[in-house]
Amino acid sequence: MNRYLRTVIFAGCFVLLSGAGGLGQTVPKAGLPVLTTSAGQSADVESLNAVMEEAGIKYDYCDVPTADLLASGVGLAGKQSAATGFHVEVHTDLDKFPAGTAYKTVIIAIGASLKGMGASGLTLENEEARLKKLIDFCKQKKILVMAVHLGGESKRGAPGSDNERMIDAVAPLSDYIVVTRDSNKDGRFTKISKSKNIPLTEIEYVLGLVDIVKQILL
Amino acid sequence: MKTKSLAMAGVLLITALLAGVLAGQKTSPLTPLPEPLAPGRDACTSILVGKDASTDGSVLTTHTSDCGTCDWTWRHVSAADHKPGSTRQMYHIDQYKTWPPSEGLRWDLIKKSDAGYAIPEVPHTYGYHHGMFGYMNENQVALGESSIGCQRRMHNPTPTAGLDISTLTLIAMERAKTAREAIQIMGSLAEKYGYGFYDDGEMLAVSDPNEAWIFEIMPVGPLWTPKSGKPGAVWAAQRVPDDEVSVCPNESRIGEIDLANKDFFMASPNVISLAVDMGFYDPKGGKPFNWKKAYSPQEGSAASTNGRIQRLWRFFDLAAPSRKFKPETPNMDFPFSVKPDRRLSLQDVMDMTRDRSYGTPFDPVQGIRGGPFKNPSYYRQTRLIDDGRAEYTTVTQCRASLPGPIGGIVWISFGSQDTACYMPFYAGATELPKSFAVGDHWVFSRDSARWAFDYADFHVQVAYSEAIQDVKAVQARYEGELIARIPEIDRQALELYKKKPAEAARFLTGFGLNNAKTVVDAWWKLGDDLLVKYNRLYLYDTQKRIYERGKPATPDWWKKAVRVFDILMEPDKK
Repeated sequence: MNRYLRTVIFAGCFVLLSGAGGLGQTVPKAGLPVLTTSAGQSADVESLNAVMEEAGIKYDYCDVPTADLLASGVGLAGKQSAATGFHVEVHTDLDKFPAGTAYKTVIIAIGASLKGMGASGLTLENEEARLKKLIDFCKQKKILVMAVHLGGESKRGAPGSDNERMIDAVAPLSDYIVVTRDSNKDGRFTKISKSKNIPLTEIEYVLGLVDIVKQILL
Repeated sequence: MKTKSLAMAGVLLITALLAGVLAGQKTSPLTPLPEPLAPGRDACTSILVGKDASTDGSVLTTHTSDCGTCDWTWRHVSAADHKPGSTRQMYHIDQYKTWPPSEGLRWDLIKKSDAGYAIPEVPHTYGYHHGMFGYMNENQVALGESSIGCQRRMHNPTPTAGLDISTLTLIAMERAKTAREAIQIMGSLAEKYGYGFYDDGEMLAVSDPNEAWIFEIMPVGPLWTPKSGKPGAVWAAQRVPDDEVSVCPNESRIGEIDLANKDFFMASPNVISLAVDMGFYDPKGGKPFNWKKAYSPQEGSAASTNGRIQRLWRFFDLAAPSRKFKPETPNMDFPFSVKPDRRLSLQDVMDMTRDRSYGTPFDPVQGIRGGPFKNPSYYRQTRLIDDGRAEYTTVTQCRASLPGPIGGIVWISFGSQDTACYMPFYAGATELPKSFAVGDHWVFSRDSARWAFDYADFHVQVAYSEAIQDVKAVQARYEGELIARIPEIDRQALELYKKKPAEAARFLTGFGLNNAKTVVDAWWKLGDDLLVKYNRLYLYDTQKRIYERGKPATPDWWKKAVRVFDILMEPDKK
């Protein structure tokens, strides 16, 4: 292998690993404070939260935030979790970002779970409507929306499946997409990325998301 | 102030009226409405009975597959030989996923959910019966299940978790000769290929003719990768002493572990180190490591949750009333197992799966909760062992006195246990009824055995306190009398087995199929009979061709309760 080829491969790997996207788009610089949430109420948002904790990033989390709740900013207006169907966690450093500070980033873990939506009293239609309002608000307030799909191929489902509808509700409207390679085996996210000019990063394991969130949020 | 006083007087009046209404009824102090349980904490119950705790030396386990929307179908998987170098393809199995019957059978459609890898196949796999999980193989290795949850940070729904609990149970059935072997097989595969995906903390009751074990397994978090060199699961198992019984009602049951005592404990190599790494246990804290407190802690007691988590207390109280277990005792402080006051028979254990906590502080029909006909299904706030949502319930029976194919029996009951009937299928049977392999919750089908039991159950709800007596009479005939016949079936099968095992298998298969058809037909008829008998809430006597409009009689206390409610709801006079 000649030196030129090695240099090209090395540069390519660096671009991929550094989260700069494989399609030439520039990965946006996001910022704190950040809210994590779910599109479809699957357990994948727990993976996202584990990533945030591993990365040492303080975040707020709500499973079913409305646009109004998002507008209330850090601390989510002091809302408390219910026994089922509504969960809130506030981990943001309130010394740096006092309660009410507007979020700069929302990270949405895509993954539909009938069990999860059932527990939250949601239907697919409710969930789509909620997400639309949430993302519209983000656009209006210039809050960066990052979409992640970590569940892999088996949780993707057939066209028109619950999970696919959640992808349609979030990914094309997001500002940055990160997916596990297994989630993008059919190139679905690549197509969205190309057609909407949204930066996309593929990772092998969820562990790879740790460095990405550090890069874009810190 | 005046309004407050009036309101207080009203409350006192209603209380006094209700006290009067309920006078004469056997009631316990009314408990307030509990909070609902979180998903996964409101599912299956599994009971375990050691061989010296049963009347006939059987090791017994149960599983109430409580869901309400899940799959209920069953099938038999035949034993098979495999060529050297062959592999077993792996699939992800979602406990909750169902398909419309028009799309095909669940166990064919599962193959659409390829996990993307295969494991080396063993030279021979054993035959077994399975529903949502594996239950009984030809070696009398038997299973029951209960979801127990785990610390949130342990969940691993990512594709690095190559195994779910259902898949693990199927592989255990295919490969295990003993309960211990089943535990080692499941544990080692989960460590290597990662565990979680659709599931998190799970308990399995793993038994054979000699031992019953509680096996608990949990994921290790979403950041695990196969390249990490660390186990992709954490697990522990504890054996139930032979003369004791235990239970798992969606709560972790294993506490302190003594891995030096190999006869009673097994665990993955990371059993303590993971807890330390994840901050769930501090070895410098001066307390011994406690599995459930580290990985699946739960607060509260039967009393403090107003019955929300009363199944644990209820089981111990049923098994050993002399120990006077208190509902106020935090669930985490209950013992792992208990010696029952008397040895339990198969029928005792079946009856335990039908328990509705009657006569306890969590009685679902105390006061006016069950309506005029004391229907335990009206009040769904307290979580009972039988809460009517079971897809099916199993009682597995393993008997050391008989060869595997005859000694093992899985008794299957569809739907709510109180109105259904247990049907036996020997471990050596090579076929299950076709009516067990079809049907779902959304399409009524006379081809589906399960619907026969829901059909009867539906007609019991109308006048529960009356109709349940009709059901008990039919249960005594088709279940009680059959249990009494089992020793004779065993004897005949054993004679055939000694001459030619294949003949015994044919005999046992035929016995299971014939009996199931008889029972399913009887339950369709029971449903019809109940419809006619309690039609329009009258009592139709089909023999005398008369009906009584005053029966089933609405009790006086109910009529009074209605009057009290009317007073309560009376609009204010201007």
